[in-house]
This record gives sequence, C-alpha cells and structure tokens, in this order.
Amino acid sequence: MAQVVLKDVVKNYGDVYAVNHVSLTVEDGEFVALVGPSGCGKTTTLNLVAGLIPMSGGTISIGDRDVTDLDPKDRDIAMVFQNYALYPQKSVYKNLAFPLQMRKLPKDEIDKRVQAAAKTLDIVHLLERKPRELSGGQQQRVALGRALVREPRAFLMDEPLSNLDAKLRVQMRSEIKRFHQDLNATIIYVTHDQLEAVTMSDKMAVMNGGFLQQYDSPANVFANPVNMFVASFVGSPAMSLVPLTAVTKGTDVVLASPEGWELPLNAANAKKALSAKSNKVVLGGRHSTIKVHKAQVPGSVPGKVYTVEPTGDVTFAQVFVSGAVVNVSVDPTFLLRPDEPVFIEFDQNRMHLFDGETEMALKLAD
Amino acid sequence: MTAITEAAVTQRKGAGGWRWSGRIFLLLLLGFTVMPMIWMFITSLKTGFAAMQYPPQWWPSEPTLENYWRLIDPSGSVGRDFVQYFLNSVWVSTLTTILAVVVAVPAAYAFSRFRFPGRTFLFFAVLLRNMFPAVVFLVPLFILMKALGLVNTHGSLILTYLTFGLPLAIWLLKGFYDNIPVQLEQAARIDGATRFQAFFLIVMPLSTPGIIATSIYSFIGAWNEYIYAYTFLTRHDQMTLPVGIQRFFSENATDWPGLMAATFMMSIPVVVLFLVLQRYFVRALTEGAVKH
Amino acid sequence: MSTVQGQAIFRDVPEPKRVGLRQKVWNSRFDYLYVAPAIIVMLIVIGYPIYYTIELSFFNTPASLALSAKQFNGLDNYVTILTSPIFWKVTWQTVVWTVVSTFFAFMIGLGAALALHREFAGRGVLRAILLIPWVVSAVAASYVWKWLYHSDFGAISAMLTQVGLVDKPINFIDNTSTSLYALIVVNVWKEFSFAMIMLMAGLQTVPDTLLRAAQVDGASPWQRFWHVTFPHLRGVSMVTLLLLAVQNFNSFIIPWIMTGGGPAGSSDIWITHIYQLAFGRQRWGVASAYAVILFIVMMVLGYFYVRALTKGDDARAAT
Ligand SMILES: Nc1ncnc2c1ncn2[C@@H]1O[C@H](COP(=O)(O)OP(=O)(O)O)[C@@H](O)[C@H]1O
Ligand SMILES: [Mg+2]
Repeated sequence: MAQVVLKDVVKNYGDVYAVNHVSLTVEDGEFVALVGPSGCGKTTTLNLVAGLIPMSGGTISIGDRDVTDLDPKDRDIAMVFQNYALYPQKSVYKNLAFPLQMRKLPKDEIDKRVQAAAKTLDIVHLLERKPRELSGGQQQRVALGRALVREPRAFLMDEPLSNLDAKLRVQMRSEIKRFHQDLNATIIYVTHDQLEAVTMSDKMAVMNGGFLQQYDSPANVFANPVNMFVASFVGSPAMSLVPLTAVTKGTDVVLASPEGWELPLNAANAKKALSAKSNKVVLGGRHSTIKVHKAQVPGSVPGKVYTVEPTGDVTFAQVFVSGAVVNVSVDPTFLLRPDEPVFIEFDQNRMHLFDGETEMALKLAD
Repeated sequence: MTAITEAAVTQRKGAGGWRWSGRIFLLLLLGFTVMPMIWMFITSLKTGFAAMQYPPQWWPSEPTLENYWRLIDPSGSVGRDFVQYFLNSVWVSTLTTILAVVVAVPAAYAFSRFRFPGRTFLFFAVLLRNMFPAVVFLVPLFILMKALGLVNTHGSLILTYLTFGLPLAIWLLKGFYDNIPVQLEQAARIDGATRFQAFFLIVMPLSTPGIIATSIYSFIGAWNEYIYAYTFLTRHDQMTLPVGIQRFFSENATDWPGLMAATFMMSIPVVVLFLVLQRYFVRALTEGAVKH
Repeated sequence: MSTVQGQAIFRDVPEPKRVGLRQKVWNSRFDYLYVAPAIIVMLIVIGYPIYYTIELSFFNTPASLALSAKQFNGLDNYVTILTSPIFWKVTWQTVVWTVVSTFFAFMIGLGAALALHREFAGRGVLRAILLIPWVVSAVAASYVWKWLYHSDFGAISAMLTQVGLVDKPINFIDNTSTSLYALIVVNVWKEFSFAMIMLMAGLQTVPDTLLRAAQVDGASPWQRFWHVTFPHLRGVSMVTLLLLAVQNFNSFIIPWIMTGGGPAGSSDIWITHIYQLAFGRQRWGVASAYAVILFIVMMVLGYFYVRALTKGDDARAAT
C-alpha cells in the first residue's frame, strides 16, 4: 500500500472547472472519504487519480512515483464503480479473473486468488453466474472482489454503496471498514452521504464547486468547520445558521436582529465577532448545543415553532428565529406545538460565528 | 359510484370501437402489402402465353416452375447470365459490407467516446452524405472512375457503395456504442488493459448485435443498389442483379413471367436475411432515433 | 492534522491557463487515427465529386466526356435552367411527389404502429410481413407494380372491371394525368413500413402510467392519443418525416424504371431529370448546375436533419 499525493490538481471542461486547484495527501493505509454534494467534482477527482481522464494541471503521485502521465493500467490501483461496471458478457469468475489475466499471472495462481477473494466475500456459489443474474448486493460484492484479487497500491471507490437499499448499505459499510483494517489498505472513498464519510473515514475531504473546502478528521471537521458550507453540510440535522449584525454597546458586543432583539456575547465570542470584515456575522449552532425554553431566560432569543418531528428517543423541531430555520432537539416529554412561541438559548462555548461576507469561520487570533 | 361505472362502460365501448377499426385497417394494409407480392409469384408460375390473357387467370391453369429452371440452369444462356449476376451481387455486397464495417467500427467508436476538436463538424459531414442523392455524385464519379480505369469493374461499385454504406454504418454503430457504459472500459483499463484491449476485449463483444445489424443494412443496401451499377457497368459479365435482370427482359417484348421469377429470386436473399435477423435490424434502426 | 483553508467565495483563485486549439488537436492526435480511414474514403468519393460538380456547373461541356475541351461560360448553365419552363414543371412535380408520398407513408405508418402497439396473436408475423416492401429492392417493386398497372393485362384494371367499378382497363402509367400519382402509390407501398417501425419504437417510450392516469381521469381514446401519446412521439415523428422527405426528394429508381419520367415528362422529378440531362442528353454542365442547385436546397433541409439526428449528443459523457 502507498501514499497518494495530489498537488494543485485542476480539471476543466471549457469554462466549467470540475476540479479546481485541489491539493491533498492520503497517507499510507489511510481511509479518506471524499465528500460533497452531487456535481462538486468528486468523481472527476477520483478519475484523475485513476488516470481515466487527462488532467488540465497539477501532479499526482502514488507511493514514490509521479503517475501524472501514466496510463491507468500502470498506476497499480483498483477501483469500484458506483454502477459496479461488471463485464456483462463474463461470468463472475471471469470478472474476477480479468485483472489477473491482464497482468499475465499463471492460470493456477489466478484460480487460487479468485477462489480466495470469492471466499472472503462469500460469493463462491455465484462464480458461474452472469452479472445480470445477481442482486444489487451481490453485484456490489463481485465489484469489490474484482478490486480485491490484486494487491494494488490504493483502492478507489466511487459511491460504492449508493445503489443499495438502506439495510444492505449499513451492512456493507462495516464490511468495507473491516476490509480496510484487515488489509491496512489505502482507500479513497467517494460519497455524497456525509454520515457515511463521518462513520467510515480516518479523514474526510469536503468538496464543493470543484474546490476542496476542508480536509481533516471527521471529529475536527464536525467541531471546527472552516466555513458555512462545511458547517451546514456535515452533521445531521444540519447546523443552523442565523444571519445577524454585530453591535458594540459600551464594553459589550451583542448580535442584533432586524426584529430588535439582542444576544450578548461572551468575551471570546465578542472578539471573534469584531474580527469580521464587516458587522455582518452569522451565528451557527448544532441542535445538541441549543436549549429550548417556553419562557424567556437570560441570553435566549425569541422564535416560533415551525414543525415538530418526534422520533421516539428524541423530538426534533424546526424553529423560526429571525427568519432563519433553527434545528433543535428536545426530550420527547417536552411537548411543542407548531406556531408556539418559544425561546432559544445558544451555548456560548459551543456556538460558531461566521463572517457574513466571506462565509469563513471566525477564529481567535493565535 | 354509478358515474364511475358508466364512464368505465363508455371507455370500454370506445376502446372496442378503436380496436375494431384498427383491425380492419391492418387487414386492408396487409392486403395492400401482399397483393403485389402474391401476384408476382402467381405470374412467375405462368407460361408466357398464359400471362398475356385478359381477363387474367387469377391462378394459372397450368402452373409451371419452368421460369425458375430457366434462371438457374447454367447450360442455357439465360441461366448462365442470371447465375453470373447473382454471384456478382453476392461478391459486391459482401465485400462492401466487410469494408464498411471494418472502417466504420473505429470511426463510430471515436465519435461516441472521444471529444477531439472538429468532432462535431466531421460527424455532421458524415451524416450529411445521406442527404444527397446518388445522382448528384454520379457525373464526377463517373469521370473519376473512368480516369482510374475502374469503369466496368466491381471496384467502382464497392468504392461508391461505401459512400452511402459508411455514414449509415457509422451512425448506427455510434448509437450502439453510446449505449455501452463508459465505466466498463474504465474498469478494464484499471484492471490492466490498454485502451485498445479495453475496446477489443470488452466493448467489441458487447456491440456484436450492432455489428450484425450494421452488416445487414450494408448488405441489403448494396444488394438493392441500382443507379451506380446501372451507370458504371456496361459489360454483362460484371452486372449485378438489379441492372442485370432489366437488360435481360426488356430488349424485345417483355417476358413478364420470366421477369417476375427473376424478381422473386432477387428478393429472396434479402427477405430471408431480414426475417432471420429481424430483431437486430429493427433495434438498430430505432436505437438512434428513439433513445433520447 | 492538516486543515485546508476553505474557499466559500471562489473569486480569488487563479484561473488555469487556457489550452490553445493547436495544443488540443495535438493532444487528441491518436483519436483522429480512428476516424481517418472513414474520412479519407469519404473525401475521395464525396469531397472530390462535390468540388468537381461545382466546377463543371460553370462550363459548357462537349457531349463526349473529353472534358479538356470544356469552355467556361459563367452562370449560363444556371440561367438556362432557371428560365426554362421545364425546370418549374419538374420542380412542381418533385414537390407533389415528395409531399404526397411523405404524408401518406407517414400517416399509414402511424396508423399501423398504433394498431400494432397492442399485443395480439400473430403480431410479430404481421409486422414482419408489412416490413417486406421496405426490404426488397425498389427495382423489384417497380417491375412488379409495372406489371400490376399494365394497360392490357394488368391485374388492377382487371380486378376493377370484374367488380364493376370501371368498364374498360385503365391506363395508369401511360397517361399524363395519372402517371405521377400511380408512382406515388408504389412509393408509399415501398416505404410506409419504415415510418411504422420508427413510430412503433417511439410508442414504446410512452409511459403506461401516464396513459392509465389519463384513462382514470376519463379521457377518451382519442383524447389519450392527442394529449399523451402524440406529444411523446413528436421527436421520432420529426426524424421520420425528415428521413422520408429526404429519401423521397432523392427518389430515382421507381420513376426511372416504371416510366422513365414520362409520358411527356409527366412523372419527371428532379433526379430523373438530372440523370436524363447528363447521361441521356450528355449536357454535363447543365446537369451539374442542376445538382448544385439541389445541393443548396438539401443543405437547408440537411441542417434540420443533422440537428434532429444529433440531438442530445453532447450531453453524453466522454472517456
Ligand atoms: N465530460 C464532461 N464534460 C463536461 N462537464 C463535465 C464532464 N464530466 C463532469 N463534468 C462536470 O464536472 C462537474 C463535476 O462532476 P462530477 O465529478 O461527476 O461530480 P460528482 O461526482 O461530485 O457528483 C459537474 O458540474 C459536471 O457537470
Ligand atoms: Mg459522481
């Protein structure tokens, strides 16, 4: 297994920049999730690493080799496609054997490896079938098997689970994770599902509009999103964002709403708010850090319940605060009705502040 | 409730009326379609004398296969020529088909998969060819063939047949390649195949139905071609069937039963080919036009 | 842990440099190898003739093909054509031939496609039989119909007299007022099944659920056809009509074999006329000028043709 390094990678189709100056290092044996909304350039990035499409700029190296100008076959990688891309005219056995045949392995060696991979993935009984005679989950296993028969330097997976039903997806998720641990494999895993990325990866690379937004461990991305996009993309329900105005009142700094209410900030947050380019500041909070009150308490702001979604363990609700939707969660015994006026309290130590102009997270200067 | 039932009854009545008018229409259409074919066959079973009667014998009083024997009997002059025409047609159509497919496969693949500068222009140019009638090209091609010394050779036909065979083949095959997911080739290339191997080992086997369909089209097109053959060939031993049979029978008084027998024989190969491989034929035609 | 600076606002990122056309051509040089053989063949047998036709159209040519003796005469050939009454007569006949043939072939094909859409015993066989006229050569069709139309022994006249519709055999194709229409019948016979097969495929793209929804809403069969089926067929219909029109405009074999354009030019259409000019009267220059005019007309039609055929092509992904 090997390290994969992308340096300043660019891919454009005319005026459309599918991948825009992306730099990224995947360490040997690391599981990196490439995550972002549909059309943000994940597949294109993966295809560039695989060498399936020519790059417009930048370099890629795998291990200690610069592979920028190499053919896919010479990059020694394996890939699992979203639609599986099994060869329809070949049996499962031949599908698994194909990469080995292309590398001119002896017949008995091929057989040994195919049987071993089939055993690992529990598809021995399917070896003689054609892909169209398999269920989606079985096809998925065969696609994994085809990547597994070789010992590539890295595995690339493009939304491998997105065509499976929910239950199978959870099961395959743990199998792929298991497989990563057993092989100590370097894996770049593309998904549009942030939950998949958070649960499976060592590090996640969040993309949007062709740009790499943030590259860090899931815990860090969750705790310190660099900008409003990452904040609202990672976590479910999404982080709530309320656009407000920072106003200095004597020694205090408050966030003021157009409706007239004011939220006083503590010293650290006040400093952050003042570092914004203008007085426009966006307040962010995750549902787990927000308290809901039926009566006004100090530091709370007024809102109105919009929807209530009991899930059993916990009740989620959406509350309108100064025109923005704020996701909150409350104990199921705490009854809320739509249109009920409530008061929302943000935790000063865990709230996020963003620059309203640049959309970047506001941080304390070191 | 009643309203719904009523509506349903009217529905069924309406649909039934439609179905019946549809059946009657199909029956009439079937008659229109087969009547000429049946009359061709009946006439071919008549003697020259029996054909020239009015009102006609709707079924020959003395049906005979004489006209067919004459065509395939190589000891007679008629048979000798007809067999020669037949063989010429087979040879020209087969060679045209092979060349068209061999040249069209890579071109269609490139038009489907690659985005090189000028691609759209070249593809349009290729498709545009089918807009123009053979006659537009006839004069200069005739002069060109004369200059190349190809008049009265099958080479002139094969070369010109490619002009209509190729665009059609490229268009049809491109439709097939468009429907084969790119990911299959990508997978193959990652599995260690070169671009060419990915095409040859993975895509080619999947496009076999397309190649079969394209071959039938080329073959039938070449088999039925008339204008170029009519213009470029003047020597009897070179002629293909469509021109050949004409020369045969219209010199003096037309031998209608003989002509009908020859027409029948000429149609057999393409009709049989079509009936056997109908599936591919129809699919290829509709793939390009309907898939969007 | 490396944390990359997020870029919520993308303006300040440098644009990658543009790739020039020459560079692009060079980068895809291997792609051209695939299309090269096809393009070379097409250039020889199409590019060259087009060039040569245009050139010849400006020359007065000797009847023999000793073209070294040709003389430049500017636009004379074009003037000759456009001022000749025959040109306008042939043009009118070509329009009638093209429009009427296309209309009936399409309508019959549509009717057949609709009637064949529902599954019933023998449908496959029926479809195959209906397709035969389209598969057999136009030469065969022409001879058979010539025999059916025969003025003395023709089966059609005989049938009509026996039923009592007419009292003596009709002369269908040796008659200046009926020849063109008699030929159109043959043409429609030959090509209606092309429209049928295209429209049958088009019908398969009409979602069943929509038709059923319309039925539940109380739409009559006619309303269902008009509001649900027909809009779905628009694309296929366009392509089919265009292909039929182009094919009919370019027809040669049926009129040439059945009447030779006669009698008295009453079934002459553009292509037969050009052929007659070139290979009958050996007026190569005038024939070439005719071809160039036709060419220009076709280019206009061709624009729509190519557009219809390549619709949605650029949306498909490339390797
Ligand atoms: N062959 C292509 N031609 C033009 N644009 C493309 C092509 N492939 C991808 N794109 C564009 O690049 C962007 C990123 O695509 P992709 O990498 O497939 O996104 P993702 O996998 O994240 O959903 C999209 O806007 C897409 O439209
Ligand atoms: Mg994707």
